[in-house]
Amino acid sequence: MITIENDPWQEMVRHAESTFPKECCGVMVGAEQLVRRAVALPNVYDGPQEDFFVMDPKDLQRVDEEARKGGEQVLGVYHSHPNCDAYFSKRDLEHSCPWFSYLVLSVRSGKFDHANSYRCDYDQTQADKEELVVAAHRG
Amino acid sequence: MAKILIPTPLRQYVDNKDSVEVEGSTVGESLTALTTKFPDLRRHLYNDEGKLRSFVNIYIGDEDIRYLNKDATPVKDGDTISIVPSIAGGQRDSQ
Repeated sequence: MITIENDPWQEMVRHAESTFPKECCGVMVGAEQLVRRAVALPNVYDGPQEDFFVMDPKDLQRVDEEARKGGEQVLGVYHSHPNCDAYFSKRDLEHSCPWFSYLVLSVRSGKFDHANSYRCDYDQTQADKEELVVAAHRG
Repeated sequence: MAKILIPTPLRQYVDNKDSVEVEGSTVGESLTALTTKFPDLRRHLYNDEGKLRSFVNIYIGDEDIRYLNKDATPVKDGDTISIVPSIAGGQRDSQ
């Protein structure tokens, strides 16, 4: 199960909508499976970004270093599927890393539609949906 | 002696350290020293054939070792080696 606080959840939704019809990507940071921050990263894929994304490993390294300095950790990554369901595609699986949760956000006609979170195996052959909880806004 | 930075999801396999200092004259030797000291870490970095998993990038300083001498890339005292996952994907299901 992964739990996402309301603020980072809203940031990821806004990011996914603002990059539509291209895929966005970013990192979820927190502790003990509670996401407290979303860090938007550039999609550095040099082809059509409407259906593919690539994260720059140096961006990921930088976020990981910042997280560890703050006593946090990288819990997962997120990306959007423009005009498509939030399923874990064959390409997602082929490029997946089992160390993280993978949040996929479906955006249709520029508006957020739904999301799912997945964990994949080490052989990059299977991804299982995990329970996704968006925490109520505090205060 | 080089320092290997451990990404947060893998720290549980290295006594919760965020970095480990190892001896080794190459990146390959350094990683072998790391996984010898912490054998539970090995399956997270290497497949059953003993090759680095496709989603694992290794950097020395700011350089990806794939563009240097891969495992044979020399390591000097004080170098920092980073283990950085490769993240990509997308809804396209065929090239």
